[in-house]
Amino acid sequence: MHKSGVGEFPYYVGINSLAELATKDDRVVVLNILGKESSTVTPVSHEYSGGNVVFGTGPGKSGLSLPTKIGKIPVYNSIKEGMLAGHKFNSVVVYLPPSGVKDGVAEAVRANPDLKKVIVLTEKIAVKDSRIMRAICQANGVDLFGGNCLGVADSWNHVRIGGALGGSHPEESLIKGSVAIFSNSGNFTTTIAVYLSTAGWGTTTSVSSGKDVYIQYGPKEFLYALDNDDRSKAAILYCEPGGYYEHEIQSNKPLVACVVGRWKARLTKACGHAGSLAGSGDDAFAKEKWFMDYFGVDGIYTPQKPVFSRKGALVTNIAHIPEALTRVMELNGVKSDFEPKGSLSLKCWFGSNQGLGLPKELDLPVVEAISPYNEQIAALEKHVGAQFRRDTMKDASGASMMDPVTQVSKLHNMSILDLSQKSLEANLVFALTRQHPDAYGEQLANLVLNGYVNQHGQPTLAAAEAAREAGSSPNIVTASAVGIVGKKSVQKAMDAAQALLELFQYEKVQDPQQKVDISAPLKAAEKYKDVLLTSGDEACAGKMMECLKKAGSSVFISFVEAFAKQEKMHPTVDALFAAVWVTLGWTSLKGKKITKSTLVRLPWYSRIYSTIVGVTAPAERHQKDGFCGVKLESLVTQSFTKTAFMALLGREPSENELFEFKVLLGLIITNGPGTISAQGAKGAVSADGPEQPDRVQVNKGFMGFLTHTGFAHGGNGYEAAAFLVQQFKDTALKSADDKKHGINLEEIALNYAKQYKAYKDQQKVIGNLEYDKIPCVNHPIFKGKEVNVDPREEFVNKLFQEKNLPNVFLDFYHSLVEGLFKAKASKNVYCVNIDAVIAVILLKMVWKDYRAGKLGENEIETASFATFLFGRMIGCAAEIDDHTNRGRNMDTRTAASKCVFVA
Amino acid sequence: MQITGMLWGRKLLDLVEFPHSEVRGPELSVDEIKDMIKRHGEVFIKPLFKGGVGKKGKSGLIGRAKNISEALREKERLYFAEHVVNGYANKSDGVTFEAAVPAEYEVYFSISESTEFRAPTMTITHHGGVDIEELEKSKIKQVPFDPLTGLKAFHVSNALTDLGAPPAIISPLVQNLPRLWDLYNNYGMVQLELNPIRMMGAKGRLTPMACDFKCMFDIDDPAWKRLDLPPHVFASDYSEFEQEINQLRTYQGQSDVFVINDKGSITAPTFGGGANAMVTELLGEAATISSDFGGNPPYEKMNEISKITFNYWLKQSNVLFVIGGKANNTDIYETLRAIADALRDYFQKFGPKPLFVVVGRGGPNLIRGMAYFRDTLDQLGIPYRFFGHDSAMSEVINYALSINDWMKSGGAGEIKQGMGIK
Repeated sequence: MHKSGVGEFPYYVGINSLAELATKDDRVVVLNILGKESSTVTPVSHEYSGGNVVFGTGPGKSGLSLPTKIGKIPVYNSIKEGMLAGHKFNSVVVYLPPSGVKDGVAEAVRANPDLKKVIVLTEKIAVKDSRIMRAICQANGVDLFGGNCLGVADSWNHVRIGGALGGSHPEESLIKGSVAIFSNSGNFTTTIAVYLSTAGWGTTTSVSSGKDVYIQYGPKEFLYALDNDDRSKAAILYCEPGGYYEHEIQSNKPLVACVVGRWKARLTKACGHAGSLAGSGDDAFAKEKWFMDYFGVDGIYTPQKPVFSRKGALVTNIAHIPEALTRVMELNGVKSDFEPKGSLSLKCWFGSNQGLGLPKELDLPVVEAISPYNEQIAALEKHVGAQFRRDTMKDASGASMMDPVTQVSKLHNMSILDLSQKSLEANLVFALTRQHPDAYGEQLANLVLNGYVNQHGQPTLAAAEAAREAGSSPNIVTASAVGIVGKKSVQKAMDAAQALLELFQYEKVQDPQQKVDISAPLKAAEKYKDVLLTSGDEACAGKMMECLKKAGSSVFISFVEAFAKQEKMHPTVDALFAAVWVTLGWTSLKGKKITKSTLVRLPWYSRIYSTIVGVTAPAERHQKDGFCGVKLESLVTQSFTKTAFMALLGREPSENELFEFKVLLGLIITNGPGTISAQGAKGAVSADGPEQPDRVQVNKGFMGFLTHTGFAHGGNGYEAAAFLVQQFKDTALKSADDKKHGINLEEIALNYAKQYKAYKDQQKVIGNLEYDKIPCVNHPIFKGKEVNVDPREEFVNKLFQEKNLPNVFLDFYHSLVEGLFKAKASKNVYCVNIDAVIAVILLKMVWKDYRAGKLGENEIETASFATFLFGRMIGCAAEIDDHTNRGRNMDTRTAASKCVFVA
Repeated sequence: MQITGMLWGRKLLDLVEFPHSEVRGPELSVDEIKDMIKRHGEVFIKPLFKGGVGKKGKSGLIGRAKNISEALREKERLYFAEHVVNGYANKSDGVTFEAAVPAEYEVYFSISESTEFRAPTMTITHHGGVDIEELEKSKIKQVPFDPLTGLKAFHVSNALTDLGAPPAIISPLVQNLPRLWDLYNNYGMVQLELNPIRMMGAKGRLTPMACDFKCMFDIDDPAWKRLDLPPHVFASDYSEFEQEINQLRTYQGQSDVFVINDKGSITAPTFGGGANAMVTELLGEAATISSDFGGNPPYEKMNEISKITFNYWLKQSNVLFVIGGKANNTDIYETLRAIADALRDYFQKFGPKPLFVVVGRGGPNLIRGMAYFRDTLDQLGIPYRFFGHDSAMSEVINYALSINDWMKSGGAGEIKQGMGIK
């Protein structure tokens, strides 16, 4: 049962011409106007159409309104209430959730006898509801559109009703012309309009039909109205498989049909559009044939093989629509509406090869985007550095993680095994800039790190000495000193870094080592004169500049020099110090790996690094002009790894020792954010409030790390060393790298294993299950096989073998795990774990001095602890910076509800 | 979501008391089969396929037996039978035993949504038992009817009269067929087909007995859930991946996926039904999945969808291809941010992998979204190319295919090296 409408349809159709579809006279009510989608889209439609929405509904929301640029749209509880308020309308747009759509349509039809159009945007409407809505509208003479459509729009009338054809800027796509569009895809309705403009075609009326099982306003009704629309000279039909909507279509005007979805014949369920599922005889092939028969062509139009007639053309690629239409219209003697706008060729707006060499044909250059996008992209260039989302970072980290399978920890996605092959200075830079410096960068890092290592006459050294004197552990000794390296002590350098950042952030400097024109920053630098230059001659700065120039060239260092020359002044030491760190951090900043605030804070971290290493050496090793006996001039050019070794043991390392020390430090860098040291650092940052990064005290972050190490965490490396000392103190071992040591390791190991077995059995008999365990053997993950291996230990062992670096203590450990198995103290051959590697490297370094009586067991313990602090300083620096950038204020606290009171 | 065959069909028919032949499942013992043959003279043995698998008869996959040895032989033959439909192999898991219904007349009956009439439509013929497509049009009657009042007795009566059906079958069908509208309308069906309905009984009084059953449910209509059918009935319709994505199915933002090629090497989150149709077609077998994630999905949903998609497909993929036209109301910043964050999560969880990202998109907040994605890719060290809506989608697709070819022929290795992956 349906009302009689226009044409000879077996159902009601009320639209006679496309010109009537969306007119200036239409008055619209939007159901669920304050919903998420509607509240975004409706104001744009309302403004574009000159204010065509009279009111909206939302149950319980009467009295509210939806603001738009041309006034507020009132909201009522119901249509009835809106009508009682005196509003009149002929169209309804439905944004209700699927279960409410049918009722909303029923309400509209019942309440308003003047209703002529209903446009349903909602997707996933049940088929049952669709057929009921249709029946209601048919019986009452209402044209229904959708569901899951984007409504209708008219470029001539400057009106759009329902949905968002043309997006947030309809004028960009809905350009006045002579082509009507009917599309199963809402997105393609707009996309086709954009494509048409590249061939000079504009649009009249655009209909997004939706592609549910029920297409309420179909192609046949559309073509009937097309024929009666004087403005439209042709139409585009975009169709997908499923349904007989396009079967036996007829029009007086040329058409281009695009049928897409041959592959959908494979589908047994809908994917994408709900109605785009072919039944029998209505798949894409069938639809192509319907159109080919209608057009009288024997193929699909492609640019290579253009097949078309006066009636039209069939394409299967929307990119071919503009050309096909032009050819068809030429045959009909009709020219395009305007000059073509742009083209559809590939235009890359953003691209990066990440340093790879792509084949030429794939290496598309980045081109300027069309307006207004080019302006937006240009504005993006003003966004320098990374921007991280803030979150609760208590047990999370954007810097470190431990792989639960391999147990290998990573820092900035690089495993500690790989990091252990880098120098200390390289890793210290890496922790903060997320990339390792090149050889030039390492030289710069050594210069500044060594430059501040000597604490002679500084309060930091006095504090450290006082703590040492008072019997504090190495972590407290260093923490006491670090507490003095407050922000004020590095403020000038940070100001200088900030100045360089501001001067260069928008310059095209990607790599600081490249020669670039610095005339613009030089012109703008006047206001930073006090920050970067001094009128007096700082001798130290002169020497520093000399060293820096020898190392290579950096745009920032050159700039400071040129600026001084321009102003006839001298660079300050802080300016050069800052220029070094800006050089080290610049590519990471430009690559959006670090934030601007990290770049500015780098000098602060640098001073703390130097302080921690410096105060580890007792006061007597700090001389006025040197450190551990090395003159400053020489010190600044040596590896900071070497300096750290000297601070620790008071002597120069051999080449092999330096390598082993480097490996040792690398292995300790991190064990993920859950470790106590990392938690200490993160807690310290969290308490300062990282949401205001300027307030975070970096030195306090390091104090958090240092105070969260101790005899159990950090100092326990000594446990294994003490165990080994116990095993070897009565032997004649002079040097741990002596291959001809003449000691029967297997025998010592087996004897010990037997003793241990007896001890273990005895303890079990007396019920003590907490008996002493042998340090550094076995592992909770790497266990259970006949012979077990800790892959991290295996990696280092192999590395040392390749480098021909024997270690008798490590060999002993391997004999020990076998001995334990032979003595039946273990069920299988335990692994030698990674902690053993750390212990054996350390003990090897100190063994000669120990044997010579230069070091006691206490000193070994201290050295062991301090070594841990050096390595872990790298990981914790990364945690401090990461938490500063990503964390929230006080995010490491535990909710009271999760805390437990123990009686 | 389809059901074919009488094992579950009879249970649905019982809901509206529509008569059907005796049907038993694979659990039937030898004695019970013997008893069934004794009572009915003959049984049909049909393989049990999950989901919608038709044309079993034509493929010789319906056995008939008049004695136990024949029945057991057919059971053995058909229990794990393989049936290839549209190039897809379906494996049977069990058989049904269905009583033969001797009859002079076989009727075809269906209700479906007609896109021609745009109304629910009954299709009926008394020349049933064959493929409806093979019958002359004059022998079939299609009757659209008002969904508000439903299928009525007069629809059936008029149609059968118009067809010139034997008077003996009209009355029993008029009495019974309208009940099927209740089944169709109340449980969210979009198609219901009984073929054949065999008219059983003495000449004076015939009873329509449904002997085969097929129906399809509307996934967007929760009414089918009232049937409380066990999930395994629909299990073959969805892969594990699809099932996981389906759990996120709400009306806010689409989440339709379909596995195209589980060995594919381009994973393409696609936005919009149109883009889905086009992209999947042009990518062909290179694609892992076909998807439509359009409809302005909120960040949380898009992020969840991306995580699931990456978990299943990224490992094998050379190219992550994010593609759609010029969006109307989808917030591109939200969708690209959700994808970028999911990609970052993937790298955090599984470590870096060689990948090339190609994006083709337009719409609100485009540049903001692209900038966020770009920054993420820069941080992860992944090479990329982004195109706006002024590049033809088909060209962008071809570019993604070319990148995929390059990745296969050594590009992936170069990226791997560049990322420092061992």
